[in-house]
Amino acid sequence: MMKKILQYGLIISIGFPVLFLLMLSIGRRWPYPALFPLEMSFSNWEFLQQSDSKLFQAFFISLGISLSVAFIVTSIGFLISKFIAYSKQRNTFLVLAYIPYLLSPVIMAVIFQYYFIITGLAGSFFGVIIAQFLIAFPFGIIIYDNFWNSQLKSIEELSYTLGGTRIQTYRKVLLPLSKNAIMLCFFQVFLVSWFEYGLTNLIGSGKVRTLTVSVFNFVTEANIFYAALSCCLLILPPMLLLYINKRFIFFVEKTNQ
Amino acid sequence: MNPFLDIQGIYKKFGKDSILTDVNLHLKKNTVLSLLGSSGSGKTTLLKIIAGLETQDKGEILLYGKNINRQKPQQRNIVYLYQEALLFPHLDAFENVAFGLRLKKLKESVIKEKVDLMLKNLGMTNHASKMPSQLSGGQRQRISFGRAMVIEPELLLLDEPFGALDSSTRGKMQELFKSLAHAMQISALFVTHDLKEAIVMGDQIGKIKKGELLQYETKKDFFNDEHSEVHKEIDFWTNIKNN
Amino acid sequence: MVVVLPVLSGLVYATLYSFGIVGILNEGFTLENWSGILSGKSFWTSLFFSFYVAVTSILISLVLSLSMALSWKKALQNGILSTVIYLPLCFPGTVMAFFMFQMLSKSGFLSRLGFEAGLIQDLTIFPELINDAYGIGIIITSVLLITPFFVILFTNLYRSEQIENYKALASTFGASKSQLLRRVTLPILLKKSSVSIYLFIIFVMGSYEVPLLLGRQSPQMISVATLQKIQRYNLYDIPKGFAMSILYVLIIVLVLVLLYWRNRAFFNSNQTS
Repeated sequence: MMKKILQYGLIISIGFPVLFLLMLSIGRRWPYPALFPLEMSFSNWEFLQQSDSKLFQAFFISLGISLSVAFIVTSIGFLISKFIAYSKQRNTFLVLAYIPYLLSPVIMAVIFQYYFIITGLAGSFFGVIIAQFLIAFPFGIIIYDNFWNSQLKSIEELSYTLGGTRIQTYRKVLLPLSKNAIMLCFFQVFLVSWFEYGLTNLIGSGKVRTLTVSVFNFVTEANIFYAALSCCLLILPPMLLLYINKRFIFFVEKTNQ
Repeated sequence: MNPFLDIQGIYKKFGKDSILTDVNLHLKKNTVLSLLGSSGSGKTTLLKIIAGLETQDKGEILLYGKNINRQKPQQRNIVYLYQEALLFPHLDAFENVAFGLRLKKLKESVIKEKVDLMLKNLGMTNHASKMPSQLSGGQRQRISFGRAMVIEPELLLLDEPFGALDSSTRGKMQELFKSLAHAMQISALFVTHDLKEAIVMGDQIGKIKKGELLQYETKKDFFNDEHSEVHKEIDFWTNIKNN
Repeated sequence: MVVVLPVLSGLVYATLYSFGIVGILNEGFTLENWSGILSGKSFWTSLFFSFYVAVTSILISLVLSLSMALSWKKALQNGILSTVIYLPLCFPGTVMAFFMFQMLSKSGFLSRLGFEAGLIQDLTIFPELINDAYGIGIIITSVLLITPFFVILFTNLYRSEQIENYKALASTFGASKSQLLRRVTLPILLKKSSVSIYLFIIFVMGSYEVPLLLGRQSPQMISVATLQKIQRYNLYDIPKGFAMSILYVLIIVLVLVLLYWRNRAFFNSNQTS
């Protein structure tokens, strides 16, 4: 009995933040000590109809960046991780990949910000994509690494011995088998990029206004309602992903042997 | 005369499937009963019921004449060995063997003495500090035995322990078990699907098929049973010899 | 060709380290900044504070997640809870930090609840849970972010490592329930997840958005402190910021090497060539 109560309590407490943020996002005034915002209206959400509103643009900027980064990392990462996995220095590469993975993205941004400034990429949409690529790429390698094993290699070689060309092998054998790994990598990288703030803010010099940047901007402007709204938008794609297949949201490195 | 282990009228169903039907079995102390059974015969369920890991729908389990139906696995002093060696991955060979002794909170010196002796009997003294991942299949099975036998259980239940080993390792393990069981006077139920192994390992033989068990009083009875596989084997080799 | 990309990223930073030595306002190579940082209190206080926050958060998360994963095995594998537990993974640090800010600040939701319930008369009485000296707000937020992850991890591990079988085996050896927990379940789970746990400590240490919103001027966590040096108006602080970044990288690399030595099996996957 107690178990059930606790479990339902947990489910409610997980759902609570979502509801709270939604509630805040439609509020207009929230003086102390009212429990709920005094004026609630959907006018905050009307930005959806105004294509020149900042939030509207922020959403699509975020979307554009994250989709691009995810696409590039997933495609290039697929090929390169295969090379790495089948090479003799696999372990060295893997350990090297862990270094940027472990460093916080902001610190990495601090370190290579100089190059972005001198190449004029700082403050640009394209620059942010590149910066995010640099931190997401090692992550992609790590995700794919689990996937390339000797069994897969044997299947690939089998295809060659049966007369398949490189392209045929990729199209008919490797890619179908890799569907899950590719999707996992794509969504994981998308999420990393979608949620990223520190690096985006630094490299983007505040000019590239993604959703996460918007949240912080609204907070400093003390506009908590729009901040809450941005938060709701931020969690929308992940929740969609959760609905499609919850396993794409969860990634853990290999466990200890 | 009270037999050491007496199983009476065990029935077990999983949903609609009857796994065990009216199983009766008796075992004298310090003997090994081989049970010949393939997968699906209900052998694993029977062993788990005896160990207390599953409960029967009907029937009695008597140890020294005492009904142990209600006893939890921890209290029965009957060890059940899985097919896989299932060594604790976080403990080395020595500690794996010592596991049961440590549960009993024996003195450190006593534990060391018993474990060292067991490792010597197993021929594994040089591997005492290795982790399970560093041992071969046969070595792992040996440690698994050692772990079970060092606590001197009343009854040992072995569920196809040599199934995953190659034939030469298997042969060595059979010999090892027989000599250890004899030396330590272990009572055991040994389940296998291999005819030869059943004959080699057991003092007595039984057959379990589709949930029904048939126990032969002597090995000779088993040989003479016209349904038994022995005849098929003999015919097979005779044919080869004659052709 | 391929070697270029991973090394390129490495090259990019490596040559950039030079900025720590060259740059506006610097008179050339000088060790002043480095000695300032190394002997100064602020860097080490930040580092220590970050470490303390990380370890505390992880420990609390471990206790909570293990309790949940072990008590609610069935509910976590099938049923609503098995999906709902993934929901918090949709929350980034930014959102969680913002939400916690609205909950725990003096004018936040909890404070208002307290007022309505008559527990406090004035918002100044409400305890300082965020922007405080012990990082309570940061720790709570980090715990909320990490715990669901660990719950899923342990639930999966429990199944894949066949803990039930080990428990059955050990119970025939005479192990009591508490012995089963202490000698079988927990050691196996923790051993198999140990590297993930260490990695998480490193992640929390380097976190940025959460301490940015919920922390205070001092002590600061390492990422926030470093960024502040870079972005402040005091240009003399910039090289210091770079020195801090490099130091941080060196420390991480050191920790990584340590992890590698002690857990070779984790990093050495089966060679396929």
